[in-house]
Amino acid sequence: MLRGILRIISRDGYISRSQLAKELNILKDIVDEGIMQLLRRGYLLEENTGEGCATFCVKCPFARNCSKEIVKTFKISAKGERYLKNR
Amino acid sequence: MASGTIALVGNPNSGKTTFFNALTGSNQHVGNWPGVTVEKKEGSFKFEGEKYHVVDLPGTYSLGAFSEDEVVARNFILTGNPDVIIDVVDASNIERNLYLTTQLLEMGKKVVIALNMVDEAEKRNIDFDIDGLSKKLGIPVIPTIATKGKGIKDIVKAAIDLMNRNMAAENPVQYGETIEHHIRNIERLLAGKELPYPTRWTALKIIEGDQEILNNIKQSPHLDQNLTDYIEKFHQDHRNEDLELEIIDAKYSFANKAVDGTIKRPAEETVTITDKIDRIFTNKYLGIPIFAGIMLIVFQLTFVLGEEILGGLAADLIDGLGGLLAMFLVYLGAPGLFTSFMIDGVINGVGAVVEFVPLILVLYLLLSFLEDSGYMARAAYVWDDLMRRLGLQGKAFISLIIGFGCNVPGIMSARTLDNKKDRMITTLITPFMSCGAKLPIYSIFIAAFFSRHGGLILFSLYAFGILVGLIMAKIFSKTLFKGESSYFIMELPPYRIPTLRNVLRNMWDNVYGFLKRAGTVIFVVITLLWVLAVLPVSVEPYSQLSILGRIGAFIAPIFAPAGFGSWQESVALFAGIPAKEAVVGTLGMLYAGQYVEQGAILVNAVKLQFTSLTALSYMVMTLLYTPCIATLSVVGKETNSLKWPLFMALYTFALGWLAAVAIFQVGSLLGFS
Repeated sequence: MLRGILRIISRDGYISRSQLAKELNILKDIVDEGIMQLLRRGYLLEENTGEGCATFCVKCPFARNCSKEIVKTFKISAKGERYLKNR
Repeated sequence: MASGTIALVGNPNSGKTTFFNALTGSNQHVGNWPGVTVEKKEGSFKFEGEKYHVVDLPGTYSLGAFSEDEVVARNFILTGNPDVIIDVVDASNIERNLYLTTQLLEMGKKVVIALNMVDEAEKRNIDFDIDGLSKKLGIPVIPTIATKGKGIKDIVKAAIDLMNRNMAAENPVQYGETIEHHIRNIERLLAGKELPYPTRWTALKIIEGDQEILNNIKQSPHLDQNLTDYIEKFHQDHRNEDLELEIIDAKYSFANKAVDGTIKRPAEETVTITDKIDRIFTNKYLGIPIFAGIMLIVFQLTFVLGEEILGGLAADLIDGLGGLLAMFLVYLGAPGLFTSFMIDGVINGVGAVVEFVPLILVLYLLLSFLEDSGYMARAAYVWDDLMRRLGLQGKAFISLIIGFGCNVPGIMSARTLDNKKDRMITTLITPFMSCGAKLPIYSIFIAAFFSRHGGLILFSLYAFGILVGLIMAKIFSKTLFKGESSYFIMELPPYRIPTLRNVLRNMWDNVYGFLKRAGTVIFVVITLLWVLAVLPVSVEPYSQLSILGRIGAFIAPIFAPAGFGSWQESVALFAGIPAKEAVVGTLGMLYAGQYVEQGAILVNAVKLQFTSLTALSYMVMTLLYTPCIATLSVVGKETNSLKWPLFMALYTFALGWLAAVAIFQVGSLLGFS
């Protein structure tokens, strides 16, 4: 299952829980669980697009608005790439 | 003295706390687990005259060593010697919850499952074969509804029965041959050692590379050289084999087999609404045109609602306030200079900026709506391919989207891009994304000359900014910053109906930022310019003979080829470098002083000073030219140099000037005015 999730993510270039659940014939909750396991074990890395302002522009009028995360992005780690290649 | 200890374990949101309350009533107390900040809840209850101690362990999805909660729960189960564990399982999410159950069983513990919230599951048409599930798992399974106290007695009875039975733990999960072979070898080496953990479980943790368990074993006085050598050799030989994932997969496989035939749930919709929408919205060929269409609608609505309807009301309000203030100051006999400052500087200068609040409000209301609906993730996704072809990674588009609010956070967000090339190019093109501060400038000129096609012109300006940014990205990737872009993956969340709270909060954050700048930076800039516009006192205020007039007249020839060579427009452009809103504020103040007979309506004054063609070239200049000081300073900070902000200031100015000149000169040649 975990390899399947990683393989599909790598192939599609995006994460859609419904797409993963459909292709792997598992529940979306299990997809969530699988993604969490891949993140915890360092096969998948979550990137943070919204941390930019935390250290700099506390007084900036837009500081309240700029730490939001518009899109959640991930990256397959070197470990994940190696795992996909080895199989 | 309690007759036994029961540990409550479960996933977050499995109803475990409600279960604990139902079990213990008011006989509970809360403390902390030693050495950590995790809450420890304990309580007791009586059953058939006997008292039992209950420990509510932190909610967790697994029993690894990835969080304090997990470590606390795991350590208590392994070393706290609970007599029995009640595993509270959410009946609607049983497949997910059973991963934790599998781990408990591997620890060799006595476990009873409380299949909780069965009423919720039944509402979702989930059917259970409780006996079948119990047989497959090899442990009692009792349906409960903790909120109603249903099944609590049954599970207590089952737990106490199990507590009093001498039940040997079974190995529920069988792994592949390689893993089983190593489990057997490690079990042999561990035989006879006094470890606080079950042997098979310990062997499995060694194979998984669980650092906490490995450290505990290494510190054990019973550790011998054979075991140390085996562990080291094992990890050397298998470091690239990802056995940990095989172990996890095997656990999920066990859980799946347990529910196969015992849990029946209605088939999940194979093609969801999100899938159907995404087939169109993220289509390779339709994605970008649809994005453009949506943005066109956004700008059309922004202009009609924000400028033509609400904007007029705001302008009338500020105009009315100005009139009242003027009368009040005359009534008080205030000095002429002070009255001039309040009316021309504050009301017509700062007020000219503030009257665009409705415009900002509508634009960010619509953008927040798109963002909260999940569409913006699709927008970034559909741009990904094009961005890659232009030598950037698609994630850069997220920085550009953020830049539409304010360039500063847009540039700050570029720091999360992996390589220097992507970071630098994104930083250098973000100022071409029209921030909220430029909106009032466009709005004034559109209202004066292009009001029939306001939305289209507004959209075209934003689109032109993106186009210039993309062209510059391509040029930079071929010249200054060569190399490969890194690859990333976006999450496409399901579409959802935006929540009013999120949309309003997001919108307010932008409006708040706009108002705060108007009350601080813009006020200071306008005050300074007002002083320069009325000095020296011997000359006509707001005239070309004032200090500001002379400065403006000196720089005005630079812009003459672009068609707007008067001193006021030139000064306003330079006033826009501290903050872009100051362009409108400065024009408001200077024109109010000059065109007293036109009243405070800036649009009327702009109509007298500009033509359609010069208005267009002025808007393009403000779109592209030198970004504000805050943006330049953040570029300096992010690149840790003076070179890049200076480069940005100069190249954007040159580009803006060239574009404005080209529009004016070509337009004039073609006979436009």
